[in-house]
Amino acid sequence: MESIIFAMFNGVLYGMLLFLLASGLTLIFSMMGVLNFAHASFFMLGAYFAYQISEGLNFWAALFVAPVIVGLVGAGIERWGLRPVHRYGHVAELLFTFGVAYVIEELVQMIWGRVPVPYEIPELMSGALFTWQGFDYSIYRVFMLVVSVAIFVALFALLTYTRIGLIIRAAVSDPVHVATLGHDIPRIFMWTFGFGCALAGVAGVVGGNVLGTEPAMAIQLGPIVFVVIVIGGLGSLGGALAAALLIGIITRLAIFYDYGLGSLLLSLGLEIDTTGLLRDFTRITTAQVAPVLPYLMLVLMLIFKPRGLFGTRDV
Amino acid sequence: MAVLKWVRTLGITLPIVLAAFSARGADTVKLGLIEPFSGPIAAVGRDTLEIFEFFANEVNQRGGVLGGRHIEIVPLDNAMNAEKTTQQLRKVIDDEIRFVSQGVGSNHALNIIKFLMRHNRRNPDQAILYLNHSAVTTSFTNELCSFWHFRFDANVDMKVAALATQIGRDPSARKLYMLNQNYAYGQAFQAAAQRLLAERAPEAELVGDELVVPFGKVLDFTPYIAKIKASGADTVLTGNWGPDLVRFVKAAAEANLDVAFYTIYAGIPSSVAGIGAKDGIATQLKQVTEMHENDALYDQQPADLLDTYDRWRQQTGKSIYSERMRWTIEYFAAALDKAGSDDPALVAAAMEGMAMEGPAGPMVMRAADHQIIFPMVISTMTEDVGRPFIYDGEDYGVAFATDGWIMSDAIELPTTCEMKRQ
Repeated sequence: MESIIFAMFNGVLYGMLLFLLASGLTLIFSMMGVLNFAHASFFMLGAYFAYQISEGLNFWAALFVAPVIVGLVGAGIERWGLRPVHRYGHVAELLFTFGVAYVIEELVQMIWGRVPVPYEIPELMSGALFTWQGFDYSIYRVFMLVVSVAIFVALFALLTYTRIGLIIRAAVSDPVHVATLGHDIPRIFMWTFGFGCALAGVAGVVGGNVLGTEPAMAIQLGPIVFVVIVIGGLGSLGGALAAALLIGIITRLAIFYDYGLGSLLLSLGLEIDTTGLLRDFTRITTAQVAPVLPYLMLVLMLIFKPRGLFGTRDV
Repeated sequence: MAVLKWVRTLGITLPIVLAAFSARGADTVKLGLIEPFSGPIAAVGRDTLEIFEFFANEVNQRGGVLGGRHIEIVPLDNAMNAEKTTQQLRKVIDDEIRFVSQGVGSNHALNIIKFLMRHNRRNPDQAILYLNHSAVTTSFTNELCSFWHFRFDANVDMKVAALATQIGRDPSARKLYMLNQNYAYGQAFQAAAQRLLAERAPEAELVGDELVVPFGKVLDFTPYIAKIKASGADTVLTGNWGPDLVRFVKAAAEANLDVAFYTIYAGIPSSVAGIGAKDGIATQLKQVTEMHENDALYDQQPADLLDTYDRWRQQTGKSIYSERMRWTIEYFAAALDKAGSDDPALVAAAMEGMAMEGPAGPMVMRAADHQIIFPMVISTMTEDVGRPFIYDGEDYGVAFATDGWIMSDAIELPTTCEMKRQ
């Protein structure tokens, strides 16, 4: 029993990191309807800025300054790039953000080189906070969890209870009326986009030193972020949280309880093929397929519930 | 600093562009180098090109080959896309280049071997010779062996043989946990290790044997670390490279996992940069190579070679990671001279069985399968070294120190190659 709780706890830690990555993307999508393909690139920028700032100053300065810079870059890209493209529809926006991702990747390589940069966990937090089942949990792991939870609570409160949240949500459903009330819709969208990018920046600061800060990180992280928001339901913050936790816990359980497909079939009383064509298939274990389980969940979700867990519109 | 990197990028790009323009220069012997020069892992390709051009230039400065002709490296970008490797081979034929080299990615190497087998059979008077500097899939010198392919790196089985031998000598390696990437290379590593550990490290018990989805798909290795911890392992054996190695090692260090990591590719510049000094030392990170800068034998190398190494470090601001690319050029030059011709068939024949003095004794290009045989060294990351690792002028404060050499007789494995000569 304890090992199940142990695996689930690990799943929550990982899931909250995924949520942190996806929160900005789902915010931008739900508020603006823009599917930002460059989201993981803003995550990468956050990590690189954090590295540069923590070299000069320290991690805490990076934690607050790097997301602001990423947010400003994002707002600038919205103002001078995305806004003119907006009137050509969603496909144009999608293609634009796709291009932005390539430009950012190339710029990062020009400025910081093509090999990983040594962005490390701050010394202060690298020690073990507690040990469970002989496994040391660093202070930093728990710090990541705290940051993710804080971001979720803050975002939720911002959108639900504040005036800004009210205006943003109104601007999505009825932009004309909100505009006639004297609100500058393009400006609201610009800052929403910037804020979403800043969230990706926070994820970059917090996750870059754990995942490794290198030019390929955006390409590697892009797909999983989209899986989270599609399973959660496009544009649903709560859905993104639920999907991230679900993915985290299921993949962790699959790795801990390493069942072979062969033994599973045997326990169901089925004859298994150990020599013929299917022998590789029966040798597969759940731990081997764990990292692809989220994509399997994505496919199943699109077949059976295309709106995702809590989504309100179709993909 | 940023500006410096810009200049550096330009400095690397410019020669590529210039070389592309001068590729039609007259009296040179051209060696096409097919590697990724663009895309996310362009760093590896560009580092390779830099080494090739540097050592080709050394040969040219010494007086060149075939009585004064220069070796010219022609870079051909495959962007890490195996289909583009094939396209570049067509360009090699069109440009009448008769020698190619490649090493990053065994799937590309496989494309080249198969392409050339067909092309050379149909066009014997336009045959092309392939010098493989780093692609390690063992079958290239076993069932897939070809007269037109020469390998200057140890294959997976040989590298695993070296690691298994050293594990057998290591009294603290009693419980092994194996974790590998689930594709051809990782599976080959796993199979070779299962076989060779039983022979060479009989006292070490295998307490875990795992395959993971490769190429950066695993973001968080924590659950694997927890499993290793639960298994009571004292040693990890992995063939992982790139982000799959960097994240694995960093996750282990973060969880204070007290094990030693036996790897093949920990010393690749991007891996050292990604893992960092602290985590590398905490995990007693080990690599297997043909030589390294802090070995006792380094200072006993010929004086002119040491001069060359010093110039390399000054010019590029980079440590010497491997010898195999230098060997590729040296063998190429020696075989051209021995054949007295730039006819690929004659050069290939000259290369068969050719011996050279390696860093730790003689090495030989085995005629039976075109696999080079040489002693290998296992080394561990430490701060306590005379020549710390540098990359792009940056000093990382760590490097590798020797655990032990494994001589050729322990590395040389039988081949199943039945080579058809022309």
